[in-house]
Amino acid sequence: MNAMSEACRYEADVIYAAANDAWSESLRAHVASCEECAATAAVGPWMSGFARIDERERPLPDPAVLWLKAKLMQGSNTMERATQPITRLQIAAYLVIASGWAALLMWKGSALMAWFDAFKPNRIVSVPVPATLSITVLFAAVGLLSATVMLAFHTVLAEE
Amino acid sequence: MTADALLLPVPFGFARAGTRQRRPNEPMDEAKFEAFYRKTAGPLWSYVYRLTGDAATADDLTQKTFFRYLRSNPVVENEDHRRRYVFKTATNLVFDHFRETKRERLTEVFDLPHAEMRADRGELRHDMARVFNELKPQERALLWLAHVEGSSHEEIADTLGVKTKSVKVMLFRARKRLGEMLTAKGLAPEGVR
Repeated sequence: MNAMSEACRYEADVIYAAANDAWSESLRAHVASCEECAATAAVGPWMSGFARIDERERPLPDPAVLWLKAKLMQGSNTMERATQPITRLQIAAYLVIASGWAALLMWKGSALMAWFDAFKPNRIVSVPVPATLSITVLFAAVGLLSATVMLAFHTVLAEE
Repeated sequence: MTADALLLPVPFGFARAGTRQRRPNEPMDEAKFEAFYRKTAGPLWSYVYRLTGDAATADDLTQKTFFRYLRSNPVVENEDHRRRYVFKTATNLVFDHFRETKRERLTEVFDLPHAEMRADRGELRHDMARVFNELKPQERALLWLAHVEGSSHEEIADTLGVKTKSVKVMLFRARKRLGEMLTAKGLAPEGVR
């Protein structure tokens, strides 16, 4: 480290003297010849007076409360980390089921609507129900429905 | 502080803070934390308050600093190092806060009346805070750490995340700027007597 970047060795003494108005003759002489210390001495008393002003209106929180909060936060962070894989799996399951429903509705949407229409009371009375839905589509719909309900239950229970 | 104290070398551990070996860290117990908090929280709050100019923000950031400290449980060599660690954390939080709010000067700056015209101590106190808030955040931090916390250039460099050799120049400029502002506002102290 060269002299240009080194702090003046009397800097701390000058700060102390300026704050406490305790100047020695040698320090006074030094300040007169050191630009850096002159700048320190010029603002030192002001900074010291400024630091003495206590602006705090409210007391600081109790350390016991902070300690407890920190421990609780630590606990919830640990729990969050532990449940992260489950949450990810849940999101993946939602995406799979949503895609399944989208695919089914696009593929057999109209057939499903016609099938549901057949159960309307007026249609039941007037016309016999035509068997327009294949067993595969029926199984797919029932499967998706069951998966949706199970996932919903899982989400509710996990939240609780 | 005596002149002899100034000539003592920087503790080896601090100078090589970045390269020291990590050793298993004992978790801080509640009693230790309480003692540390009681000693440090007040000065830390004042530092954060003088940097931000807002009491509620200072409350919030001081708490966050201690939460972070407890969460990270850092390897510290002694009480001074522990204290520097929380000041460094608080400084980072303050600068993050400035980045988030894009606000560095929290009080409006008005032309101050001359010192003789100020009637009471309350107004003078307010003027002092206004002058300080006119400085850049880094200048405020530098001046507070050097004059109030009594930190060395190495410690200031560590707290502010700057090079040690830059601190001298930065501090000199900050002092000059504050001195000029105080003179302009009629608040300059009498100086060396």
